[in-house]
Amino acid sequence: MFFHIVLERNMQLHPRHFGRDLREKLVSKLMKDVEGTCSGRHGFIVAITGIESVGKGLIRDGTGFVTFPVKYQCVVFRPFKGEILEAVVTMVNKMGFFAEAGPVQIFVSNHLIPDDMEFQSGDVPNYTTSDGSVKIQKESEVRLKIIGTRVDATEIFCIGTIKDDFLGVISDPGTNA
Amino acid sequence: MMSLTADSPVHSSSSDDFAAFLDAELDSASDVSPELDEVENGEAEGEEEVEDEGNDTGDGDDDDDDGSIDSSRSKKRKIELIEAAVDPQSSVSRGEPAETSGASLALDVCTHPGVMGGMCIRCGQKVEDESGVAFGYIHKNLRLADDEVARLRDKDLKNLLRHKKLILVLDLDHTLLNSTRLADISAEESYLKDQREVLPDALRNNLFKLDWIHMMTKLRPFVHTFLKEASSLFEMYIYTMGERPYALEMASLLDPGGIYFHSRVIAQSDSTRRHQKGLDVVLGQESAVLILDDTEVVWGKHRENLILMDRYHFFTSSCRQFGLKCKSLTEQKSDENEAEGALASVLGVLQRIHRLFFDPERGDNIMERDVRQVLKTVRKEVLKGCKIVFTGVIPIQCQPENHHYWKLAEKLGATFSTEVDESVTHVVSMNDKTEKSRQALREKKFLVHPRWIEAANYLWRKPPEENFPVSS
Repeated sequence: MFFHIVLERNMQLHPRHFGRDLREKLVSKLMKDVEGTCSGRHGFIVAITGIESVGKGLIRDGTGFVTFPVKYQCVVFRPFKGEILEAVVTMVNKMGFFAEAGPVQIFVSNHLIPDDMEFQSGDVPNYTTSDGSVKIQKESEVRLKIIGTRVDATEIFCIGTIKDDFLGVISDPGTNA
Repeated sequence: MMSLTADSPVHSSSSDDFAAFLDAELDSASDVSPELDEVENGEAEGEEEVEDEGNDTGDGDDDDDDGSIDSSRSKKRKIELIEAAVDPQSSVSRGEPAETSGASLALDVCTHPGVMGGMCIRCGQKVEDESGVAFGYIHKNLRLADDEVARLRDKDLKNLLRHKKLILVLDLDHTLLNSTRLADISAEESYLKDQREVLPDALRNNLFKLDWIHMMTKLRPFVHTFLKEASSLFEMYIYTMGERPYALEMASLLDPGGIYFHSRVIAQSDSTRRHQKGLDVVLGQESAVLILDDTEVVWGKHRENLILMDRYHFFTSSCRQFGLKCKSLTEQKSDENEAEGALASVLGVLQRIHRLFFDPERGDNIMERDVRQVLKTVRKEVLKGCKIVFTGVIPIQCQPENHHYWKLAEKLGATFSTEVDESVTHVVSMNDKTEKSRQALREKKFLVHPRWIEAANYLWRKPPEENFPVSS
C-alpha cells in the first residue's frame, strides 16, 4: 500500500554549507539519506514530495555542526500481510518463483502455487498447468497475496501465495502486447 | 562520534498522523481484543525507551507478529529504523483479526518445510529455527528442512527423467577453464596481455582479461561445444571452491546467454563442510548425478559419482601451483587439442552413459536406475581385455590389491597376473631392468609405465602404449 505521509528527521549539516544555499543543501542531503531506505514502520520511502518545515538549528558543541529538525512529505510503500499485490516474476526455479513489486521482493514457494501447476526446467524455466493454458515464467505478471513480510535496512522481503481465488498470472510476457 | 548521534532519529509527531490514518482506514472492521490493548500498552512503554535499539527493533513489525508483544520483544532483527519511534501500526492487526487466527491455525499444521528471510515459505510465520541445509546460492537467506529437500529431489527426479535428463555438476578451475592472477603472469606469457591483437582468433576469443577482479581466464578448448551438447542431456550445475563473485563471473563467461546454469552456481561458501564439496546442496537425487572435477579428495562421499578430469594448466602460475616443472602451454604458445582434448573425450563418455541409462531395451524401472552403476560399467570397458603384470611398481610390503595403480586398473576393467604367461598383455613397470620387464620385451608384450593406467583413466580408452616407455 502507498501512503503519503509527513515524517521528521534530524539533519546534521557541516558548517561549510552555511550560506545562501543552506536550505537546498539540506534538502538534497535529506533526499540522498532517506530515499530508497526502509523502516519497519513506514516501509520503503519512495520519494520526498515536499518540505513541510525546517526547524531551528542547534549547534553541536565542539564541532560546529548544526542539527536541523526537518519535516518532510513523502510517499512510502509498505506491504501488509493479507494485501494483494501485482508483481513481475524475476526468477523461476524448482523451489518456486521470485517476483518484484517495485522495491519489494516476494518469494512464492511451490507449496503456494496451485497443485495443477508443474515445474518445467529448460531454457526458460516455468510453472505450467497440465493443459498448458497458464504459464508462469520470467517477466510474467502475477497477482499474489502477501502472507509474511520482513523489513531490512534496504529491502523489504515478503512471502506470497497464488494458491487462492482470483490469484495467479494476469499477463504472459509472450501474449502481452 | 558527533555525526552519528546528530543524524539520529527523532520522535515524529507526524507518525501519529500516519497511525491515525491507518486507524481510520483499517479500524472500522475491527473488534479490539484485550490482547491488543496490551500491545498498545507495550507500545507506550516502548515510547520511553526509544534510544534502546535492542528493545524496540522488533516493534517495527508488530503487525506481522500477530500482536504478540512478548515474541516481538524478544526478536532482534536487522532493522534500521530511520525514525526510531515506536510503531503505532500495531493497529493494523486489529483490522485483520481473521487473518491472525488463520495464521496461528496454519502454525499448528505447518511443518515449516523451509525458511526464507526468517519466514516460513509455506505459512509466512516468523521462524527462528536454524536447522536444515542452507541454499545460499538460490537465495541468500534460504534454508530447507531435510524432508523438503528429499521431497524436492524426488519430484525433480521424475521431472528430469521425463525429459530424459540427468544432472551434471561441473567444476570450474582446471576442468572447464584456467585462471591466473594478473600479477602472476610471467614475462614469457606477457604477450597475452600486450599483444592481444595479434593472437590467433581461437585463442583471443577464449581469453579474458578481467581487470575488475585482477584475473586472466582462459576457457578450455572445446568448452562451448561441450556445454551445448551436454545441456541437452543434463541439467548442469557449477560447483567451485572459488568465491561466489568469481564463480558468477566465470559462469557469465561460459554461459553469456544465461541458458545453461540459471541460478545453479554453487561456490565455496555454499558448502556445508569446509574444504569439501557435497551433493547435499544440489537439489538432485544422487543416483542421477555425475560430477566432473579435477580434484578427487574434495568429493569425500561422492566418489562414485565422480569422473576425474585431467587438469587443464594453461598459465605458468597454474603449473607452478601444482609443482609441475614442465613448460606451460602459454610458454609453448600452444594449447590443448580441441578435437582430442579432455572435454571432447569426456563428452563422449557422458553421451554413452546417458544412452545406457535411458536405454529402452532395459527392463527395469527407470526410477530405480543408478547412474553410478552405469558409470562403473562404462569405466570397466576402458581396459577390458588387458591382463596386467606389475613389476617394480608395488612395494614388497604392500598388499598388491590395495595399491593405487592396482585399484585404478581394476576399476578400468583390467585383470591381473603375477607371472608373465601367454595370456598377459601388458607389463607395467617403473624400470626395464627387472626380470619381468626383460621377459616382457623378449615375449613381445607391451612394456608400459604406470602413467599409462592414469592416462587411460583420463582418456577413457586405451592410450597408445608407445607413448609410455619405461626408462632405464
